[in-house]
Amino acid sequence: MKSYYDITGDGGSNILEQVGAIQAAIAEKLAGVKYRIAIGSGKGGVGKSTLTRQLATALRQRGNACAILDADLNGPSQARLSGLQDVPLLPGAEGVALPKDANGVGVVSLGSLIPETEAVSFDTVAQGDSYTWRATREFAAVGELLASIDWGQLDYLLIDLPPGVERTLQFAEFLGSQTSFILVTVPSDLARGVVARSVVALRGAPNRILGYVENMKGYWCDACNNVRPLFPESNRIDLGIPKLGSVPFDPELAAACDRGELAVGNDRPWWVAVKKLAETVEEIIESKPVDVAE
Amino acid sequence: MKFLCVPCDKPMQLLQATPPDRGSVSLVYSCDACGYEFAMLTNPHETQVVTSLGVTLGKDGVAESKCPFTGVLAEMETAEDGIRWTAGAQERMSSVPEFVRPMARSGIEKYAKDQGYAEIDEKVLAEARSHFGM
Repeated sequence: MKSYYDITGDGGSNILEQVGAIQAAIAEKLAGVKYRIAIGSGKGGVGKSTLTRQLATALRQRGNACAILDADLNGPSQARLSGLQDVPLLPGAEGVALPKDANGVGVVSLGSLIPETEAVSFDTVAQGDSYTWRATREFAAVGELLASIDWGQLDYLLIDLPPGVERTLQFAEFLGSQTSFILVTVPSDLARGVVARSVVALRGAPNRILGYVENMKGYWCDACNNVRPLFPESNRIDLGIPKLGSVPFDPELAAACDRGELAVGNDRPWWVAVKKLAETVEEIIESKPVDVAE
Repeated sequence: MKFLCVPCDKPMQLLQATPPDRGSVSLVYSCDACGYEFAMLTNPHETQVVTSLGVTLGKDGVAESKCPFTGVLAEMETAEDGIRWTAGAQERMSSVPEFVRPMARSGIEKYAKDQGYAEIDEKVLAEARSHFGM
């Protein structure tokens, strides 16, 4: 009797072929992207999205063509961070035109399409049982976004991931080995413990982990003109990956993020740190480019 | 998933697919060799899991995946009253993925209304791209 592998196709719906066509469309649209970096953590609230935005801006200022894909469909924040909340997706010459912020960084975020007063809900015929299908639908939606945008020629595509250790690994498998990872933590053991789990999970994937960023490493106090401690720091948990940099929290930056602004070009410590981080990322990724012949 | 006619040792072929009924899709398969037919009747969960891949069931996509944000759209301000789309502009929108097209249309209609346009044509789309710095 024939086995599954003896039969070509599924006799009608060609589900695998349809999935393959979507993957081919994604590959075609991303063909002009030199480096893909996913910014993840596993832990929520450590500043992944803000850091992604800052890093993209710093890389842009170093002369790189950059874009951000906000892959956090349930909590999209890149539209607000970039001041693009009311910018619709528009058809361009080769797919959907890439919206750009004031610094020239491309930003694709569902936050541009769905008001913050609305939760992202998916149409379903299996009402009340979203746990059985929702993750699959979300990954398909991210794939459709990747495959429809005219990304053009980019040096860097930064992918802002949602929280969750398991999601971090799922995105590694979804995005493929061409995507490198940067993990974000804050100095506390609580956060480092979760990020350590993400490191272990990613060890099972073929993706390159460039290292981690220690975000909110103290906060900048204008009154003291100094960086003050913010989290307890013990460094008892060794993440086992390189530290790419440390970025202090700055209340002024937090306020600017709420307004959709990014006050760059100053010498405040967070921006100095992010510029150094961009330089480090460039050096590391260009020293050992990811094999694009996946 | 594939189906095999055991007596003939031949793969079954999709013969007919009926539109979804309360989330269930009926797919009729037949064996080209002996003519035996059977139907696979999905439950709503099975339909949803497969269509969540972003694919369609059946040769002609009878169980098409719809815009996944229908629930959101129903609560949003939808089409701006009185805004018309030319056939050319409609055609251009086909490059926007279906699952975000309604929201994209809504945003463009808002732009057109703000600019005082009663009709959206390709020129308005180009102008909107320029307006938004694309």
